[in-house]
Amino acid sequence: MSNVTHQFAGYTAVEDVSLSVSQGRFVSVVGPSGCGKSTVLSIAAGLLAPTSGSVDVLGNRLEGINRRAAYMFQQDALLPWKTVLANITLGLEFRGMAVEAARGPALEWVRRAGLEGFENHYPHQLSGGMRKRVAMAQTWIVDPDIVLMDEPFGALDVHTRLRMESEILGLWSGSGKTVLFVTHDLEEAVALSDEVVVLSAGPASRVVGSYAVDLPRPRNLIDIRTDPEFNRIYTAIWRHLRTEVLKSYAS
Amino acid sequence: MRAKPSRAPMILWQGLLGAAFLLFWQAGASLGILDKFFFSRPGDIAARVWQLFAAGTVWSHLAVTLLEAALSFGIGVASGILAGFVLARNHFLAALFDPYIRVANALPRVVLAPIFLLWFGLGIWSKVALGVTVVFFIVFFNTFQGVREVDPVIVNNARMLGATERQLIRHVLIPSALTWIFSSLHISIGFAIIAVVVGEYLGASRGIGYLIAQAEGVFDTTGVFAGMAILAAVVLLVGWGVDRLERALLRWKPRAAASREVA
Ligand SMILES: Nc1ncnc2c1ncn2[C@@H]1O[C@H](COP(=O)(O)OP(=O)(O)OP(=O)(O)O)[C@@H](O)[C@H]1O
Ligand SMILES: [Mg+2]
Repeated sequence: MSNVTHQFAGYTAVEDVSLSVSQGRFVSVVGPSGCGKSTVLSIAAGLLAPTSGSVDVLGNRLEGINRRAAYMFQQDALLPWKTVLANITLGLEFRGMAVEAARGPALEWVRRAGLEGFENHYPHQLSGGMRKRVAMAQTWIVDPDIVLMDEPFGALDVHTRLRMESEILGLWSGSGKTVLFVTHDLEEAVALSDEVVVLSAGPASRVVGSYAVDLPRPRNLIDIRTDPEFNRIYTAIWRHLRTEVLKSYAS
Repeated sequence: MRAKPSRAPMILWQGLLGAAFLLFWQAGASLGILDKFFFSRPGDIAARVWQLFAAGTVWSHLAVTLLEAALSFGIGVASGILAGFVLARNHFLAALFDPYIRVANALPRVVLAPIFLLWFGLGIWSKVALGVTVVFFIVFFNTFQGVREVDPVIVNNARMLGATERQLIRHVLIPSALTWIFSSLHISIGFAIIAVVVGEYLGASRGIGYLIAQAEGVFDTTGVFAGMAILAAVVLLVGWGVDRLERALLRWKPRAAASREVA
């Protein structure tokens, strides 16, 4: 996306943001709370039309919904009136697949997400972590070229989080998919990504830094946090991010 | 935290309250504290209801009232849901019709009854028209609100998953609005019956409202109360049916939110 600016009724959330993600890369976006990370992601998804600037997806100018992308939302976005299985099937159903035909792949995703036995439960009957896993299956089942994830593990405990981070890496590696991952957790960003982008404090947030993370893959998410190279990169980005976070406190 | 009282005891308490009320009424009227002429007695009313059904005269009146109520309910609900959806999805139309809908809804329906009598005659259609004007607005406002209040995150999620406008309506908007629509159905069933009975009361040759008006004409309070008792039973029965339907269609809701505590 290039020179994207977005205003909400007079409030400039992001200004002149340019961000380019090459195919197959895992890129994280970090920044102080409320700086406009979700806004950037919604613009990339085509859910928000930027006030100015433009978005190009795989060589084409984006207009309307980004059909190549799947989006895992920050908030709970499952359909509360559909069972786990029906929620996971939804993307295939919308693409015109018969419900019976979609059942097979959906059950496969139920298994991958470790939700066996809960196929016929409704979202309100699941724990927060299970709901996130359903959401993950729901977004990945459509086999998108681009995956947008907005703080998918924000509210989870450390263990569940670690498990799901590994699952995401497993799904992504070798798939050739492009991932744009928003998080407020710098450790998570560095551990998962090829590149970490720092947004400045709002209003009128912009990209103020971009750091390559060239740690070898596959990565072991448990051990990587004690790796000296990991810590060097983490500290470098943190110095930068810290000033932005302090700015956001000040205002 | 204390557990919610379970279902059986509450029915018991509800029954006890009703029984106590009837007992005091009966005793008061028998002891002369309440004037029998104005208040009648539960025992006499029960006997009259029994008589009406035994003689079979009440059936045709009941059938007419139920038919009128069912027609106004059906027409009112269908048109209310349709209008609610169309206006909720189209901001231009919503803004265009807004003042007129407000004005139309503010009209007292009882005043409309004589006009409908003139327009549609003494038969069932003047009552149906009256019922529709009541049901339509209740269902319309609830549907409109329900569609407007749908969680935008869920709508966005469905759109990202590739939903077309039709799929969006079917998989997201209708289920989301159903909660609201159902709460309007509970109210509008009662109102449909009230409206058609008022219509019958003001001018008809058949129906429960007509029976009540007849009894009133000859100061037969027992007859008036008997008509009311029959109506009350019908409203309870139909309400129970809607409850069952709601529970089946809103299975996905957490239990506490789906069940209404007090009808
Ligand atoms: N629909 C909206 N209307 C008005 N202002 C909005 C709207 N959505 C977001 N904003 C504002 O835009 C700014 C950026 O919001 P955004 O949700 O993108 O932040 P974020 O970086 O994702 O925050 P967090 O880390 O807390 O999720 C915030 O100040 C917010 O108040
Ligand atoms: Mg956000």
